Amino acid sequence: MSGKTILYVEDNEPNRMIVRDLLKRTSYNLIEAHDGEAGVAMALEHVPDLILMDIQLPKISGMEAMRRIRANPATAQTPMVAITSFALSGDEQKAKEAGATAYLAKPYSPFDLLKLIRKLLPET
Amino acid sequence: MIRRLANWPAEVVARAPASIFAKLLTAFLVIAGLLVIVGVVGLAALDTVNLRTEELVKIQRKIAAYRQLQHDTIAQLYSVASALVVPDERTLDATLRQLNQFGYDLDRLQFVAQDEVEILERVRKDYEAFIAAVTEAIELIRAGKVAEGRAAQTERAGPLADRLERLTNELVNKAEADMLARLDESIEHYRDARLLVIAIAIVSLLLALGLGYSISLSLIAPVRKMGQRFDELAAGDFSQRVSVPNRDELGVLAANLNRMSDELARLFREIADKGEQLEIASRHKSEFLASMSHELRTPLNAILGFNEMILGQIYGEVPADMQAPLAQIQTSGKHLLRLINNVLDLAKIEAGRMELSLTEYAVSEVVESVRSTLQSLAADKGLEFVVTLPADIPLAYGDAGRITQCLMNLAGNALKFTKAGKVEIAAECRGELLVYRVEDTGTGIPPEKIGSLFTEFKQTDASIASEYGGTGLGLSISKKFVEMHGGRIWVESELGKGSAFIFEIPLRVNEKEAA
Repeated sequence: MSGKTILYVEDNEPNRMIVRDLLKRTSYNLIEAHDGEAGVAMALEHVPDLILMDIQLPKISGMEAMRRIRANPATAQTPMVAITSFALSGDEQKAKEAGATAYLAKPYSPFDLLKLIRKLLPET
Repeated sequence: MIRRLANWPAEVVARAPASIFAKLLTAFLVIAGLLVIVGVVGLAALDTVNLRTEELVKIQRKIAAYRQLQHDTIAQLYSVASALVVPDERTLDATLRQLNQFGYDLDRLQFVAQDEVEILERVRKDYEAFIAAVTEAIELIRAGKVAEGRAAQTERAGPLADRLERLTNELVNKAEADMLARLDESIEHYRDARLLVIAIAIVSLLLALGLGYSISLSLIAPVRKMGQRFDELAAGDFSQRVSVPNRDELGVLAANLNRMSDELARLFREIADKGEQLEIASRHKSEFLASMSHELRTPLNAILGFNEMILGQIYGEVPADMQAPLAQIQTSGKHLLRLINNVLDLAKIEAGRMELSLTEYAVSEVVESVRSTLQSLAADKGLEFVVTLPADIPLAYGDAGRITQCLMNLAGNALKFTKAGKVEIAAECRGELLVYRVEDTGTGIPPEKIGSLFTEFKQTDASIASEYGGTGLGLSISKKFVEMHGGRIWVESELGKGSAFIFEIPLRVNEKEAA
């Protein structure tokens, strides 16, 4: 477990499974949260190297979760990728304002996501 | 106030419970009656004047007769005097003839002056005495007793002649006085008659005018009111009611107009309610489509993700004969995703929630992503699929995602409707405009169908849908996106040769103008 840690906040199990399988063969460690509140708690507890944040989440939205994470000094600089299935215009802008480093619209290609992860957080 | 004063007779006429025909007929009969009255009164006045003139003439004749009598008396005296001077037979005969003339005149007088019986009786008596005196004088003269004759003349005939003269003078004076009185009376009467005729004529005229005015106004006022009401109705105002006092055909017409207005108002309300219900239903539909699209995309995302990872050998090596079916899953899945995206976009457009996300983008990247996505589809159909792009196109500013979607729709359609030949995507810069062009060698579009091509759902009910499939949303959504960029889209097509869908947008979209 010497690799870098990635936190994935997503309520949909198949989507979590895709990322889990995608990262299985890499050196990244994946930790998962099922809703916004849990996501914030895990981010503050584990201080991951990268956070993948779904926007449509139960309890508190991904936007709110990102704002809270950014508000904490420990995670203020952590790169975050906002993932949305709505692709509504303005979402990217809103995500950036909430603190996202990058933005990915669903449906995304898993390999594109991997490319993005590697760009933001080189494996070695 | 003046208007109200002037209106009340019209209102009275209007309120009269009779038909317009009866009212008009009555009015004409009243006017005709007034004319008859004026005529009768005028004629009566004329008759009176005539009668009075005749009386005056009678008096005139009476006076003349009296004067004749006077004259006769003097002539008689003169004639007797002559006979006294020249007592020959001829003069004597003339004197006797004078006497006869006198008698004749007296008879005539009796005829013209019947009312002067008493004086006439005295005249007659004196006359007879005078005749007797004169006859006696003449007899005496004939007998040669001239001196006795003169005595008879001066003592008897003279005083009689004087009395006769006085009497006739009295008659003449009386008649003249009578005539003057009658003349005054006649003039007065004429004045009265004239005044009466004028008065009746004026009253009749005023009555006729008043009647005409009232009836006209009682007809015109409600017609004007109803005309105004019709104008209001035509302008969509159903709230007013027209109120006319008429109890005739116009009253019925006004009542019917009000009924029609009420009915129109009811129908209008009904239509408005229906419209509102439709709008609510449409909004529900849009919301349903939006949430449905989202729900559909979540599992599809997983399907595409897993399939791509299988193809990417994440789960180990994929047997060679499984690669084609897996690739087909990927192609079909992406197609399904595009359809779902179209439905979502349409829902957003209808709900008015569609906004552009403007960024700098490279035209080549947009075109290339479309080509790479649709490449397999073209390859499957054995179509040539090319991109023509000048190297010098500058960075564009707009919603790259929406432009990609437009090109995807156009190129997807082109591939769908082309059985052989090629599909070409081209882009070029013309001044401040960026022109995209998707051309195919397909079946072409009949000219009569071009007009409705970009209309929502147009294809869904047409026979094309069953032959080629598709939702018919792609073009209308593309048109909307192009227009949101401040551009326009059109099609050039020739049956059997192919079609070219072209859209031009500003190279750099003005944020303020982009809707």
